[in-house]
Amino acid sequence: MNDMRLTERVRTEMATKMQARGVDVHYGDTHAIKDVSIDIPDRTVTAFIGPSGCGKSTFLRCLNRMNDTIPIARVTGDITLDGEDVYDRRVDPVQLRAKVGMVFQKPNPFPKSIYDNVAYGPRIHGLSRNKAELDGIVEQSLRRAALWDEAKDRLDQPGTGLSGGQQQRLCIARAVATSPEVLLMDEPCSALDPIATGQVEELIDELRQNFTVVIVTHSMQQAARVSQRTAFFHLGNLVEYGETGQIFTQPEDPRTESYISGRIG
Amino acid sequence: MTDATASGAPATAPANSLMAPDARTARRNAAEKRFRAYGLGAIAVAFGALVVLLLSILSNGLGAFTQAKLSFPVTLQAEQVAEAEGALLKTSAYKAMLQEALAAYLAEQGTDVDAEVAISLLSDEAAATLREFALANADRYGEPVPFTILANGRIDGFFKGRVTYESAELDRNVSPEQLRAAESLRDAGVLTAGFNWSFITAPDASDNRVEAAGLGVAMLGSLYMMLVVLVLALPIGVAASIYLEEFAPQNRLTDLIEVNISNLAAVPSIVFGILGLAIFINWAGLPQSAPIVGGLVLTLMTLPTIIIATRAALKAVPPSIRDAALGLGASKMQSVFHHVLPLAMPGILTGTIIGLAQALGETAPLLLIGMVAFVREYPDAPPEGLFDPASALPVQIYNWTQRADPGFFERASGAIIVLLLFLLVMNLTAIFLRRRFERRW
Repeated sequence: MNDMRLTERVRTEMATKMQARGVDVHYGDTHAIKDVSIDIPDRTVTAFIGPSGCGKSTFLRCLNRMNDTIPIARVTGDITLDGEDVYDRRVDPVQLRAKVGMVFQKPNPFPKSIYDNVAYGPRIHGLSRNKAELDGIVEQSLRRAALWDEAKDRLDQPGTGLSGGQQQRLCIARAVATSPEVLLMDEPCSALDPIATGQVEELIDELRQNFTVVIVTHSMQQAARVSQRTAFFHLGNLVEYGETGQIFTQPEDPRTESYISGRIG
Repeated sequence: MTDATASGAPATAPANSLMAPDARTARRNAAEKRFRAYGLGAIAVAFGALVVLLLSILSNGLGAFTQAKLSFPVTLQAEQVAEAEGALLKTSAYKAMLQEALAAYLAEQGTDVDAEVAISLLSDEAAATLREFALANADRYGEPVPFTILANGRIDGFFKGRVTYESAELDRNVSPEQLRAAESLRDAGVLTAGFNWSFITAPDASDNRVEAAGLGVAMLGSLYMMLVVLVLALPIGVAASIYLEEFAPQNRLTDLIEVNISNLAAVPSIVFGILGLAIFINWAGLPQSAPIVGGLVLTLMTLPTIIIATRAALKAVPPSIRDAALGLGASKMQSVFHHVLPLAMPGILTGTIIGLAQALGETAPLLLIGMVAFVREYPDAPPEGLFDPASALPVQIYNWTQRADPGFFERASGAIIVLLLFLLVMNLTAIFLRRRFERRW
């Protein structure tokens, strides 16, 4: 399987989707992210790994400006999406988040029906002209999230009544429904059992066809399984960034090696 | 681990057997048992107090819902009415008409009760009631019209056990002779006791006509005030809470506002009354005794309660819901109105109804803005009626307990029953709304 990935990676010409240059994040007096620069290629899965508190989630939340909701957070540096600065004063974060969707650590479906959960994004962004179109978007999104077969007969039932893994796939369907270009996933499997994790990982691999995926994960195995590129964060620094296979087999930095071999973190 | 007896014979129970609790466990269990007993005791005391309270209110107040009345036919003549209308003392002319009709009816029934005594059993309202009817129904002159007229408060009290022959000897308002007449009229079926609708619908009455006093104006006044409070306090309170909880920047000004709201919730209600008097009546020039002023004062009083309850309800909505909406590209306002507010709704409604119930029972601030006035006229329908003088239920209760006639004490207890029923209905509404909104997806 790894060999297949390698050939695939060689084949793919990687255009940069998002780019960060010299990003610093301060939470009050805490310097959470220190001078991080990274290129995230289009239509690939990029994994952020690192020990707890290393800043990987914080950096992820910079990419769609979710940190704006935290009053004490201060972000400096440049982050661009398709060459446009997302922290420019003219950018409305609401519009940005429609393009850069997010899936959270804990499944957080709205306490509404499955249908309404998925239809919410398209509704507020006016992506459909009529009910039939909306139905189409809902079906397509649920299919992409591999939830259609389980959910098609109970679309009017509450999304909170699903199992944990189904809820997370519902959240992915909900994020996909707004047709984002980038999908950020913040430890999407940490609240799931191994079987549900496997399903979501398979799904992430498929999502790569249409989206740029950035996933934060605690699990190195998961990063190795789903991602093409891996970034290792430590104490707010981006220590090493490269092709997943290389990071896990021939890390350049001793800290990366310590982490993946289980000596720190 | 080096204990040699651990592997020994099981004949003697080991020191740390599971079969017998050790001293420490026994103490803990005893403490828990004691604590449960305290809890049960506290509940029993509270429940007992509630039962005693309700029983005393019911035993004192239920009498207010029945009332002794005299029923007899009156035949009005056009010339009699015209003559009475021309007289200097109109009501005494009507009283004479009543006496005449009553005498004729008593003679027909074959009782030996003197009409002069019988007419003294009637309420002072009687003549006015007849006049009102006579002026409104000119087409019914000449035919016998059945009339039901309230017996006066002492006679009513006699049938409820409040007045006895012994107490009548000492009372200059009632004589044993009247009581005897009342008894024979009751035996003759002229004097009957029935449900007292006028207690609920009639306006207040003066000191010597306790039998005619009712809660109509007070209930309307309270209802109007609740309308004002609901219309003003709910939107203002919810809007303020949403702003403070979701949008306000975290700075010292916000902290100051928060502290002040908490303080306002603890301000004695009479202070709000003084504020209302100074601002709404003296400065803004709104009329005294008007439900609009009462409603405004109660709104100020209720706002902190609603804001605190609403903020607690908003805080209880998990932040993951907000993140989910924002992560989908919803604006802050969309995330609040589409997701947070519906989830907080049961809590908001409960807080609002608790605030309203508190306002409904509030007396002190209303005394200061003149709601304690004696009001006989019903206020008009809102919105104009909000500016008409009216009373309020708790103030009416307070007012009646101040009056001399023991009949008013009974009325006050009856009014308390009505007030408690109102509160019960409001709390049931709160529970109902809560259930309904919680179940909705």
